[in-house]
Amino acid sequence: MSNVGTGAVYDRGYRPYEGERGLRGASTYALYKASIRRALGIRRSWRQKFAPFVLLAIVTIPAVVNVGIGYVTRDRGIDRFEIITYREYVGVSSALLLFVALVAPDVMCPDRRQRVLPLMFARPLTGIDYVVAKVGAITSILFAFSFLPQVVLFVGNMLVSDSAAHYFTGHLDVLWKVPVAVFLLAIYYAVIGVAIASMTDRRIVAGAAVIGLFLVTSISSAAIVGDFRPGHGSAAGVINVLAIPLYLRDLVFLRHVDPDTPLTGVAHAGWLALGTYLAVLLLGIGVLLQRYRWVER
Amino acid sequence: MTALDDLSFTLPRGLVGLVGANGAGKTTMFRLLLGLSRPTEGAIEVCGINVAADPIEVRSRLGYMPEHDCLPLDQTAADVVSTFGELSGLPARAARQRASDILDLVGLDEARFRPIGGFSTGMRQRAKLAQALVGDPELVLLDEPTAGLDPLGRDEMLALVARLGTFGISVIMATHLLDDVQQVCDHVVMIDAGRLVVSGGTASLLERTGLVTVDVGPAWEQLIAHLTRIGLSATADDGVVEVTVAGDGELDQLRDAVADLGLPLYRLSTRLTSLDEVFLRLAGSST
Repeated sequence: MSNVGTGAVYDRGYRPYEGERGLRGASTYALYKASIRRALGIRRSWRQKFAPFVLLAIVTIPAVVNVGIGYVTRDRGIDRFEIITYREYVGVSSALLLFVALVAPDVMCPDRRQRVLPLMFARPLTGIDYVVAKVGAITSILFAFSFLPQVVLFVGNMLVSDSAAHYFTGHLDVLWKVPVAVFLLAIYYAVIGVAIASMTDRRIVAGAAVIGLFLVTSISSAAIVGDFRPGHGSAAGVINVLAIPLYLRDLVFLRHVDPDTPLTGVAHAGWLALGTYLAVLLLGIGVLLQRYRWVER
Repeated sequence: MTALDDLSFTLPRGLVGLVGANGAGKTTMFRLLLGLSRPTEGAIEVCGINVAADPIEVRSRLGYMPEHDCLPLDQTAADVVSTFGELSGLPARAARQRASDILDLVGLDEARFRPIGGFSTGMRQRAKLAQALVGDPELVLLDEPTAGLDPLGRDEMLALVARLGTFGISVIMATHLLDDVQQVCDHVVMIDAGRLVVSGGTASLLERTGLVTVDVGPAWEQLIAHLTRIGLSATADDGVVEVTVAGDGELDQLRDAVADLGLPLYRLSTRLTSLDEVFLRLAGSST
């Protein structure tokens, strides 16, 4: 007869771990996964899940509407109706700015505020690994949230077109242009959001700072550039840090800056936008590396 | 500002107490051992590895339990310990399994799915210990593990620490509570104002005082009177008799006195100096 059920308590003691063990790469990947879980509210209360998934739904609405109109009008013999193009949709995704302002502070600030960093850096993890994991996590989520609606748009358009195969072969360039443009946007916003969030341990301050930076630069740029006509823009358009990834998007899709933007008519506008993009990115990464350099001093 | 100066010692495997007053340099010592700070001079080896040369390898073999609150309060103990297992290099599945085992070991098995923000101080200390152990370290650095605990919680924590030695895990326990060290550690390192006071086996530091402690229950007055009559010096301390004995002959006299009076003998032991007395004497002489 078994002893189970007699109320005996067994001390299972301690079992040493004898399996495989990773080093820096494994630790960095673990932190990357943990940061994604936190950002999406996974293993947290429903309130933490609400914001990211509502935002995903919001950025997917244009795709659904576009596909819906295409479906309704498919047999009416009229030209294909598009309310949004793939290129423009990358720009609409900049609504993810709000998401950055919410999520980047949530992923960064509690580590400082709750003093978790000493525990993390007591592991096989360096300051650089920490920055890579955090920026990687936010970039991945922004990429996914910008890319998934584009997939919905592409697949939907393909299915409601007269010939799915014809639509697919006719839009092969979209298959690389969209991910490249979305990635450029995602990593840019992620670096800025994470860099700002690393400066404080208060989420509300970090979130306000992210939104404030984008608002102040876009208003400043608009004030300096003023009304512009095609071919008569101003280099001051690059002051608007919110718009810089959109110039790169244009370079990816059109190979030149869109004439309807403030950089219209500016000599070497593409190089100017690329240079500004890289400068902002490097500045953000520099801030982050400096911020977490103390780990091994 | 110099936090630690002219420290040189080798620690054996087992349970080691790092003792010093607040601000003596214990936490700085831990940062040096973890490779998070670098000494301006000298070298440190942990588990046979030069810390400056390969801090990542050193950290993969260590567990660290800081003194301060350091756990994410909005996550469950199972999630936190499992995540720290993965950060220690364990695969995700192994980390979850070990998190479950370790939380069981530290007595948090029933609370593992509760957010840490709702834990008592004792439970948080256990959760901190669990995250230090989940990576199966060779050496665990415990910074004031009994800080903020009530007497029962303190005893339970010290019992847990003592058990780590039986699992083959070496421990360096930083504390300013010498009683804690005396209770569980085999070796003691005492530092004061960043300088080494003494490093040695706990037993070797505890010296005989020439006093014998006798517990005969309520009849202690009767025993003192008898011992005084036969020429032995005896005093009472909280109902326990302390007798000065110069050699085996006087110890035999004491034993015979208890027998002659027909008293129950609950305890008869040699009284040693406490680590507090050792620390105060050595720290005083080194300044």
